[in-house]
Amino acid sequence: MSLTERIKSDFTDYKNHAKQDSFFALRENAFAEFEKLGFPTTKNEEWKYTNLKSITEKTFQADCVVNSRIRDFVSQSLFSRIEANMLVFVNGSFAADLSVVKEKDPSIIIGSLAVERHKHETLFNAHFGKYAKVEGQAMNALNTALLSDGAFVYVEANKKAELPVVILNISDATDVNVLAQPRNLIVVEKSASVTLVEAYYSIGSNASFTNVVTETFVGEQAHVEHYKIQQQAGESYQNNFTQVFQEANTSINHVTLTLDGTLVRNNLHFYMNGENCNSLLYGLYVTDSKDFVDNHTRVDHAKPNCFSDEKYKGILKDQSTAVFNGKIMVHLDAQKTNAYQRNQNILLSDEATVNTKPQLEIFADDVKCTHGATIGQLDEEPMFYLRSRGIPEDVARKMLLNAFADDIAEKIKIPELVTLLEEEIDRKL
Amino acid sequence: MLEIKDLKAEIEGKKILNGINLVVKPGEVHAIMGPNGAGKSTLSAVLAGRADYEVTGGSALFNGKDLLEMAPEDRAREGVFLAFQYPVEIPGVSTTNFLKTAVNEKRKYQGLEPMEATDFLKMMREKMEVVEMDKSLTSRSLNEGFSGGEKKRNEVFQMAMLEPKLSILDETDSGLDIDALRLVSNGVNKLRNGENSFVVITHYQRLLDYIVPDFVHVLYKGRIVKSGDASLAKELEAKGYDWIKAEVEANA
Repeated sequence: MSLTERIKSDFTDYKNHAKQDSFFALRENAFAEFEKLGFPTTKNEEWKYTNLKSITEKTFQADCVVNSRIRDFVSQSLFSRIEANMLVFVNGSFAADLSVVKEKDPSIIIGSLAVERHKHETLFNAHFGKYAKVEGQAMNALNTALLSDGAFVYVEANKKAELPVVILNISDATDVNVLAQPRNLIVVEKSASVTLVEAYYSIGSNASFTNVVTETFVGEQAHVEHYKIQQQAGESYQNNFTQVFQEANTSINHVTLTLDGTLVRNNLHFYMNGENCNSLLYGLYVTDSKDFVDNHTRVDHAKPNCFSDEKYKGILKDQSTAVFNGKIMVHLDAQKTNAYQRNQNILLSDEATVNTKPQLEIFADDVKCTHGATIGQLDEEPMFYLRSRGIPEDVARKMLLNAFADDIAEKIKIPELVTLLEEEIDRKL
Repeated sequence: MLEIKDLKAEIEGKKILNGINLVVKPGEVHAIMGPNGAGKSTLSAVLAGRADYEVTGGSALFNGKDLLEMAPEDRAREGVFLAFQYPVEIPGVSTTNFLKTAVNEKRKYQGLEPMEATDFLKMMREKMEVVEMDKSLTSRSLNEGFSGGEKKRNEVFQMAMLEPKLSILDETDSGLDIDALRLVSNGVNKLRNGENSFVVITHYQRLLDYIVPDFVHVLYKGRIVKSGDASLAKELEAKGYDWIKAEVEANA
């Protein structure tokens, strides 16, 4: 059975058992949209470099068994050393007994979407599917139609979740190819704040495919720290769509670290729906072998006086490929917009490739927007300087690459995650 | 300590050094002067192992070992130090971490254990005092945002930390005002111990008022055309380089 056939049969199964409510209506509509669009191909400008053929030609299962492999993985992972609320998902399903919610405040919800949506129906319906649109977005439509589970995080107005929320996704491809479609909904009300860590891992020698959608609503004056760690080993594919919807006076710091994965496609979209928003989008990708990483970002400056700063950096080894496409939309109303964008890449091999494209669409006339992209090798001058002090070439290279990564690493306020990044750079290079 | 014989080098096919001969013994200070384009910086670059230059002839022995065959890091670990004319800024590499790595790499080369953190910090404090280096500079990224004077003082500080046998100062005086020049020179003088040697490359005589050389050599068109003692530097200061050029042309 091809992936598309599988999807059809999964949806039929779901349809036959589903309660005919508004949630169902939304998903049925999404499925119709996916059927209409099909998987994106490289003929689609937005997917020009990203070929999903190796995914669509495979068969996947969506089973979830929490076994000792998973238990060991979680207990040995760095995330269990972070003082945090931890939600664990295995192949897209919630692993309740591996999850730990330490938050005591009843006005803060941290749990499984499948469970919590029934308990908080009005709240759920007010936000779910409102930000990540399915129209024209095949992968979002697919996720919406067939989502398995995911994190539901709600922080009431004026509250602060003291501990970070770790959303740990593990694909266990030990026995078969696995498909996971997690769906996260994050609602941070007025003047509230939360730190999120969204992490992706895989084990086993079969293929895994993760198609995840995260919707984040940020109420007025709220603050969100969001760290995304993608480190899926083996043959792993991931499509990650995040839509952030910001009300006035909000600030967001979003850092994406892509450290492993056969094919990773990220869509990170910010929509500023009020004045004086502050949006920071940072990313670092470290690739090797034939890995492929594609970061598509979109920042919608829909209202005046907002600031966005975007910096993505890449270190590429072997025959790996990276794509960066950064779209900044400054709407007609959005006067006094300040938007900055940079993409810097270091190629450590002649066979590595980067395709980078800034895309500024500006409809307001009083704005400040800059962008820039660089692709190059490690500079010779600093290298010679370090070597002339007795530091051997390989050590000097690591020092310089760590230094290159440093201005992304310093945006991360959880030290364990910085250590993880440094170790990965050390291991890879 | 350093024995250079008939050293020839070129860059992109252009001949720069046309047979340099120079012997530096332990404890000596040699000044190399010369007009712009004479090959002064090329000489320092070739000795430190910069890849852009191709050595086309001659030899350079350092304590009997073939210097030109060694990687730049090995030259450093053998005890050669180049104080850069334009020290590079390296954002993201902390000065402390950089020095710790350099010191311990040298110790590893010598078969010694890495230094204990507390010993290292003590050493840093002591050496900073010797070269009058501002403590706040070491907590910053290497040379990042340093003024010209701070960068040069940082070079001398690194020299103090690495305790080289031979230090090559490449136009250390360039871009320095008189106060910075004095500070940097004082640092260098305090590091002299009768065993270590210095090659001071400069266009102007004024640096040699502070770091007094035992020998002065004039480099012109890739050759040492005249050698003498410190008084030769004074003579050059008074008369400029033209008379040397004339003398060379006359003998050609």
